[in-house]
Amino acid sequence: MATTSPTVRTGSALPRWARNLALTLLILYIVLLVGPIAGLDAPRIWQSIAAEPKTLVQVALVGLANGSIIAIIALGYTLVYGIIELINFAHADVFMLTAFMSLTVLGAIGVDQKSSSGQIFVGVLVALVVAVLFGALLNASIERLAYRRLRNAPRLAPLISAIGVSFILQNLGLFWGGLRIIFPVMGVNAAAPKTFPQLLPEGILFQDGPIIFRQKDLIIILASVAFMIALRLFVQYTRLGKAMRATAQNRDAAKIMGINVDTVIAFTFLLGGGLAGVAGLLVGLYNGTIVFNMGLTAGLRAFTAAVLGGIGNITGAMLGGFLIGLLAAFSDVYFSSRWTNAWVFAILVVILIFRPLGLLGEAGGEKA
Amino acid sequence: MSPAVRTGISAGLLAVVVVLLFGNLSGVVLGLLAGAGAAILLDSRVEWPNRNAAIVGGATAGAVAGLLILVGQFIHDLFLMPLAGQPVATAPGSTLQAGLIAVVLAALAGAAVGAIVTQAERPRQLGLLGLLVAFVILFPFLDQQIQLGWTPTVISVLIYVVLALGLNIVVGYAGLLDLGYAAFFAIGAYTTGLLLSPQIGINWDHPLSFWLVIWIAAAVAGLFGLILGAPTLPLRGDYLAIVTLGFGEIVPIVFRNLTRVEIKEPFTGTCLIGCDKAINLTGGEAGINPISHPWLPLVGQFRTGQDLPWYFLIVAIIALTIFLISRLRNSRLGRAWTAMREDELAASSMGIDIVRTKLLAFAMGATFSGFGGAFFASYISAIFPGVFDFSVSVIILCMVILGGLGNITGVILGGLIIMMSDRLFLPQLATLVKNILNTSVLPTIADPAMKDFVATSVDPSQFRLLLFGLTLVIMMLVRPEGLIPNVRRRAEFHEAEAGAEATVATEAKAPAK
Repeated sequence: MATTSPTVRTGSALPRWARNLALTLLILYIVLLVGPIAGLDAPRIWQSIAAEPKTLVQVALVGLANGSIIAIIALGYTLVYGIIELINFAHADVFMLTAFMSLTVLGAIGVDQKSSSGQIFVGVLVALVVAVLFGALLNASIERLAYRRLRNAPRLAPLISAIGVSFILQNLGLFWGGLRIIFPVMGVNAAAPKTFPQLLPEGILFQDGPIIFRQKDLIIILASVAFMIALRLFVQYTRLGKAMRATAQNRDAAKIMGINVDTVIAFTFLLGGGLAGVAGLLVGLYNGTIVFNMGLTAGLRAFTAAVLGGIGNITGAMLGGFLIGLLAAFSDVYFSSRWTNAWVFAILVVILIFRPLGLLGEAGGEKA
Repeated sequence: MSPAVRTGISAGLLAVVVVLLFGNLSGVVLGLLAGAGAAILLDSRVEWPNRNAAIVGGATAGAVAGLLILVGQFIHDLFLMPLAGQPVATAPGSTLQAGLIAVVLAALAGAAVGAIVTQAERPRQLGLLGLLVAFVILFPFLDQQIQLGWTPTVISVLIYVVLALGLNIVVGYAGLLDLGYAAFFAIGAYTTGLLLSPQIGINWDHPLSFWLVIWIAAAVAGLFGLILGAPTLPLRGDYLAIVTLGFGEIVPIVFRNLTRVEIKEPFTGTCLIGCDKAINLTGGEAGINPISHPWLPLVGQFRTGQDLPWYFLIVAIIALTIFLISRLRNSRLGRAWTAMREDELAASSMGIDIVRTKLLAFAMGATFSGFGGAFFASYISAIFPGVFDFSVSVIILCMVILGGLGNITGVILGGLIIMMSDRLFLPQLATLVKNILNTSVLPTIADPAMKDFVATSVDPSQFRLLLFGLTLVIMMLVRPEGLIPNVRRRAEFHEAEAGAEATVATEAKAPAK
């Protein structure tokens, strides 16, 4: 063995902390230098915040509402990753299809803005149940058909399979969008964004200058937080939740303890798909439009959120979701909306490089 | 049924699909391919007693394939075309003539392959290579002669083959999943665009500048491979996949938005770049054009619409790529890639610097996509950010996986299959289906809503993504090693099964003792 070990590097007289500090300062300087091209123009941002501080509050509110939806999608990634260490690439497209399902159901029931609030409530409830069931079953069947056989294959095989499933689902969404003969709500063009009925109450709860807080913002945030807390309690205290955690920690040991690992994994996919269903309905209701290729960006944002919070960690996914929502809203207003996705993905890259465990992740075995 | 007839039928059926789509004289090209293909397939199944048997067998297989093509040609001319509202004006005699040419060519190709495969090892390889080279060189002339018009499509298909060969280094040899490979393609293309167009006032108008720029583009792409790879490569496999995916998303956004570039020193406010007027670096959504074409003595200026020089240029690039990659693969570095892919820990304890080895794989893969990007930019003469999105990266990945990870022949075959389906067969199928619908199906439907539904939904080109997705999933489930697998890769993918079988075998033995 003639070559030297890669960890032994000589030639630098500086202590480690000084080198790190210098490197950090250098990177910061470069960001300040080049950042303005991508909208990160610190003096300008500071000026606009100082001129109208209330806008910042509004940005934060928008960020929280969007972030709560991102968080729900992120939970789907984090649950599955936590249990079989697979980035379920198809998750975002399950979410997209559930949005189509919600729209289809709402269209079939026939509720729109003009319906009475009782009708709207029932309609949305039915759409929620159908979307959740649909997402859950879809996700679980994907696991059964495309992932289960690859559980002991090389790591990349299920990931590639997941990418394939994602494309298949996207195409299904495109096809679904073209079925206007069966679902008139789909509109004329298959690929065009679909208009979602505006069913959430738009009443203003609070207004102060540019700050507007509507009922629908509150509903979205409350609904997502409720689902997240329910999930947290479920995983923490129920028998099945404990089985999930056990399987995540050590599959073989769980098996020895009498846990049916296949069932637990299938259930995890059911749960993730159901959450995707919740997110699909909420996105449609909140944003008002859905489109067949919205999965990729939404999925990347949600995955970033999951990684930021510490993948496999439920609280982390929620935290990450809110942070990414805030960042995106901030970038839309103060940087440049054209660069928002680049900033979000840049965060993903930076987090993965410097702290792959995420904010709340714990160093556990081979996880990073 | 003799094996010769059977292989002839399987090769012929594949060819018939294409003939049914294109008709005319496409049978000539397909006849050559199917005849040779049938004979090669046959050779892998049969031990030949002597050369004559091989020649006769090859010729039989070829002739059978050719006969199927003949039948296909008749179905196309006499049945499909009238159904699509384009009755063929020519007499059935010309259909028969085209079909017979296909039969003769297929039989000849089969016989030639039969004669070659029974040679000794060395002449056999040279002979097969010679046949291939002859076909590749003759193809554009043949295409011109029979007015098929495939050459422009084949050129753009071959660009993707270069990309697939490059990605094969990263995914196939080094085992790193790169989901943002199109980013390097974009970097190569934009480098070429910036240097060979008036966009930022560089425009090297020297006739030979393309031949320099193509190397610069490759080097720049490789450099970005290093820059991206250095911090990310220590990450584990699936994290790396996501980082590359993120990078692949960032790069088109950057190219889309670099329309007003000015850089000021952050503390003093002194202007460094773009002071008088912000530089429009990439032209935004509209992209960069025109990008100048290459020039060669004797050939002169390459022109849009004159396909021959472009065709031979991209063939030359592929030949160079194959040569370099096959040399690389058997080098010390190539063996290090294999070792690292199979077991990182074992490899590093044998003294392989893992990060450096990964980094080189990443940079080399990026370099080849730089070649592809430079050719692409100059060939199309314009580039837009929309060309380089995520689906491109996945399509290239599809090619590598379909053909066979780590196998050059497999990757080329996979690339040809996927891109030809995407660029040639699917659009043609869509046109054919549309014509048939318009003339023969739609007039029979009374309900206007239903009519409209059939017209828009029955469109094969709508199902591109589905086909790519299915390819990935089915390949992973059924044959993860690809159509033409690399022997080693195959063993790796079936390690678990082999292990299980071995256990079963020992367990079965144990009680017998």
